Amino acid sequence: MIAGVGHTAFGRLAPRTAWHLEAEAAAAAVADAGLRPADVDGLLTDPGPAQGILDGITPHFLRLGAQLGLDPDYVGSEILGGAGSVAVVGRAALAVEAGLCDVCLCVYGDSPLATPRSFEYGRGDEAVFGFFGAVGLHALAARRHMHRYGTRPEHLGEVAIAARAHAARTPHAEKRRPLTMAEYLASEPVVEPLRKLDCCLVSDGAAAVVVTTEERARDLRARPVRILGQGQAHSLSTYASPEHFERLPAARCGPKTLARAGLGPGDLDVVLLYDCFTIVVLLQLEDYGFCAAGESGPFVAGGRIAPGGSLCVNPSGGLLAEGYGGGMLHVIEAVRQLRGEAGERQKADAATALVSGHGLGMNTHATLVLGR
Amino acid sequence: MSATGPALPPPDALTAPFWEECRRGVLAIAACADCGHRFLPPGPCCPRCWSRRLAVQEACGRGRVETFAVYRRTYHPALPAPYVVALIALDEGPRLISNVVGCAAAEVAVGMPVAVRFEKAGDRVLPRFAPAGDQGGAS
Ligand SMILES: [Zn+2]
Repeated sequence: MIAGVGHTAFGRLAPRTAWHLEAEAAAAAVADAGLRPADVDGLLTDPGPAQGILDGITPHFLRLGAQLGLDPDYVGSEILGGAGSVAVVGRAALAVEAGLCDVCLCVYGDSPLATPRSFEYGRGDEAVFGFFGAVGLHALAARRHMHRYGTRPEHLGEVAIAARAHAARTPHAEKRRPLTMAEYLASEPVVEPLRKLDCCLVSDGAAAVVVTTEERARDLRARPVRILGQGQAHSLSTYASPEHFERLPAARCGPKTLARAGLGPGDLDVVLLYDCFTIVVLLQLEDYGFCAAGESGPFVAGGRIAPGGSLCVNPSGGLLAEGYGGGMLHVIEAVRQLRGEAGERQKADAATALVSGHGLGMNTHATLVLGR
Repeated sequence: MSATGPALPPPDALTAPFWEECRRGVLAIAACADCGHRFLPPGPCCPRCWSRRLAVQEACGRGRVETFAVYRRTYHPALPAPYVVALIALDEGPRLISNVVGCAAAEVAVGMPVAVRFEKAGDRVLPRFAPAGDQGGAS
């Protein structure tokens, strides 16, 4: 059960470091649960890319745990890129279910704006060809989708516009000004066919979630949120097939995870899709079965995933507009929606939610299905 | 490398032989001596059957563009934008990330036939690809 959530502001937060931010988010999540620091006996972390580059990923839980004064029974840091936050929350649920710990704190944090170019890393030998940054990789996917299915820039634009329209109703979101299609189309090309407005924000910030047992959650402050199902799928063979750029591993773990939860795509009230780039939202709409393969472009046309549309996707604005929260903000928004605490953007009677994480070289994917 | 920015990642022990072959103007692909699978990048075993009995074959150098991206932003001073990064499927089957050169970015298309063209870049010789029929520029 998810018993507590908390996060910092998102944006340019120097001189505070990722460690400062993670400590703030951790305290907020534990307080939200109505627990005390001494109750925490599990620590799982998802260090953001810049923090990994600067501080090394392996000792992340070690250093954060030392700063928080913890001697937990269960620890770990996941290195799954954008799938990391969803994966650590899933892993925390397994750990408490197995009795390895009772109160598992899951923390994402990063301060990339203090680490220029940390999102522009080259990928091994491919860097010599100028293949830098996640944007180039996703541009290859967008081109493939456009070629194969006739997807248009306006379809990607619908995703960016919907994210901003949602964020306008999210008080803590970074980009709350609505976006027009003309503005989207005039946006600076970065790696064609992707424009600047196809790319997520780069933000300093941290977010944390407390996972505990059903028994313990019963007596806590907030209405607990149930983890109905979880799954992962990964595509590590990468370029062995052009399929790598057409279907995400979500196509494998999505249906399986929904089946474990006893639900289908039509049963979900709120959908939190990892949205590092607009194209990834389109691919996941297909992979999770909200529309058929190749039809995500026409599917999002006409504001279907915008506020008031028939499918509630990323109601807080996501990585494109709320802030780069690594995926933990997606988990937190699902929790808020299921608690009925989402204010102006609350989806009426939200009882089920799906959260996805997607990362590295389009290699990793993790899914959570939550319910109240 | 200070004049041209930070050093790019050096080849590792597994990929160094591939880059040595490029220096000789050969596009080398790994081939499994047991199941015949051909693959890139080179690795410690066949990714299909896990055999460690591997051989090196010379690719014919022809392939097709499966997808591509046009960099409009310069990420490294040695690689000024615009340039084209593409996923190339070689006629023998393996795929690799490379550049499409020898034509304007606007002329590159998915499915376009291309042929390898070795170009010196810093301390490496890179296998880049040009529209097939343009055989110039081999070093
Ligand atoms: Zn083999």
